[in-house]
Amino acid sequence: MAPRALALAAFLAIGFALSVSVSEYSLRLLNLAAISAVAVIGLNFAFGYAGLISLGHAAFMGLGAYILAILTTQAGWSPWLAALPAVLGTGLAATLIGVPLLRLKGHYLALATLGLNVSFGIVAANWIEVTGGTNGISRIPGLALFGHKLDSERPFLWLALVVVAILAVVASLVQRSRHGRAMMAVRDDETAASMAGINVTAIKVAAFALSAAYAAIAGCLFATHVHFISPDDFNFAHSITFLSMLIVGGEGRIAGAIIGAALLTFLPEWLRVLGESYLAFFGLMMLAILIFMPTGIVGLISRWRRPARGATPEAPAPATEGVRS
Amino acid sequence: MADLIQLLTNGLALGSVYALAAIGFVIVYSATGVVNFAAGQFVMLGTFAGVATLLNAGWPMPVGYVGALIAMALFGALFYLVVYLPLRSSPIVTVIIGTVAIGITLQNAALLTFGSWPFRLPSPFEGMMLEIGGAVVSVHAIAVVVATAVMILLLWLLLHRTAIGIGMRAVAQDAKAARLMGLRVQWLLAFSWILGAVMAGVAGLMLGPMWFADVNMGDPIALKAFAATVIGGFGSLPGAIAGGLFVGLAEVLGASYVSSAYKDLIAFGVMILFLLVRPQGIFGEPIQDRG
Repeated sequence: MAPRALALAAFLAIGFALSVSVSEYSLRLLNLAAISAVAVIGLNFAFGYAGLISLGHAAFMGLGAYILAILTTQAGWSPWLAALPAVLGTGLAATLIGVPLLRLKGHYLALATLGLNVSFGIVAANWIEVTGGTNGISRIPGLALFGHKLDSERPFLWLALVVVAILAVVASLVQRSRHGRAMMAVRDDETAASMAGINVTAIKVAAFALSAAYAAIAGCLFATHVHFISPDDFNFAHSITFLSMLIVGGEGRIAGAIIGAALLTFLPEWLRVLGESYLAFFGLMMLAILIFMPTGIVGLISRWRRPARGATPEAPAPATEGVRS
Repeated sequence: MADLIQLLTNGLALGSVYALAAIGFVIVYSATGVVNFAAGQFVMLGTFAGVATLLNAGWPMPVGYVGALIAMALFGALFYLVVYLPLRSSPIVTVIIGTVAIGITLQNAALLTFGSWPFRLPSPFEGMMLEIGGAVVSVHAIAVVVATAVMILLLWLLLHRTAIGIGMRAVAQDAKAARLMGLRVQWLLAFSWILGAVMAGVAGLMLGPMWFADVNMGDPIALKAFAATVIGGFGSLPGAIAGGLFVGLAEVLGASYVSSAYKDLIAFGVMILFLLVRPQGIFGEPIQDRG
């Protein structure tokens, strides 16, 4: 079997084994990890391949979740049907935002997307007629498949595992396609990429829209899993968490996105034994991971397995701009 | 009219705090290239350094303020050693995530030390009011504006009239050339962190009596300081001042004349607009990080 098929089979086997062996509480965390994994695999298109720093991904997740929630609770749509406009609408919104915004790079893009995420939160909290304000939207219907309701944690996890697997395969196909290589070319050197005939803006917008569509799928899963959404669920802190998951797992790697999402979902829970100070330790551990594993967990594993080829070299630190005091 | 005077005073006072927070952020960014996402927690620590010296230890006003700022200077040095040095050659995203992570640690540490109950930090002008043109404004608000102006003047003198300040500007322009000229670059970078932390500390001490001292106050301040920095021009000190005052005035006037719910949308909307139309901000030079 090819290594990728092997990884996929291993992922599904481990996921299924966990789904029938762990406690209800761990099942809930696994579901949240799987939902985050969808968003982080998506973020990998924008950041891992195309090098676009997005701190606004939680807003796209929220946009998808809100579209689904509004269509199901107010218009009575089936959640499966409502997911379609949720994902397509979010992708379209990302395209419209991306065209002007993606001219920005580095921390300018990071702050612009952060500003978008904060603005999304303000609108979601105050546009009460549509979003329910800070009370959010409750009683979002759950998903059902062949007449079986996926309301409890275990069946939902099976669905989530399949969704993650399918989206990972799609991401892997995109990565190996012309377009995926074009994204990486844009990340590594924009000028060279455009000299090679790549439409840089179009590729960036495509990567951004695709990653937003993945985030919207995560939002749909979240809304149908928890049955309740509020602006806090899509706070900018979640965007930073998604980016942390990708960096810790290993940027540019689909396996890294999944491992990072799982690790950063469970790590705070494992640290809870430390009592009230667990968040302080969490922050320090994150810092330690960033310092000692700059290529993430997957990067570390592949460097250890194939020392000759090595991991992709880190991008050089951006040059300091001049002070204008 | 009386309302307007009151709102303008409060807006300028809040804007002064944002300006100082933005200055602290910009000093560090200009010198080290680090986009410090823990900048808001620096201000929070400044407020709580004041809580520790003035309320918990019960020191008298001037001694308490000096003690709090010395604590902030030490904190800046510690941050340089523990966070900046290990991450200094990392890609920008790693630095962003790293400073966010340490911000979580700082917030949790403050929660463990001071508890979740908010404190009311006293002002030297506690309860004093002044009547200007029929409007009643708090003396603290006026003092904040004046103190900020004095801080900016001192900072300007430091950067333009002292060897250490001129050295800092040299490092910010070209660290390699500065090293070749025999400047002690590492010391100057450490001093930038110390100065940035002290500026944030002053902002925190002035903000304490205006808001309640709450361990969760860091994030909203950081977001406003980022907006101020972008609007004024990334890396520009006059820009940080102009941007800070704009964000403060927009918040106070917007809450009163537009909508208290959407007041914060003004600052972030203007910030995004600036990024799209004029990413170098009001005072910035054309930037390289743009396609």
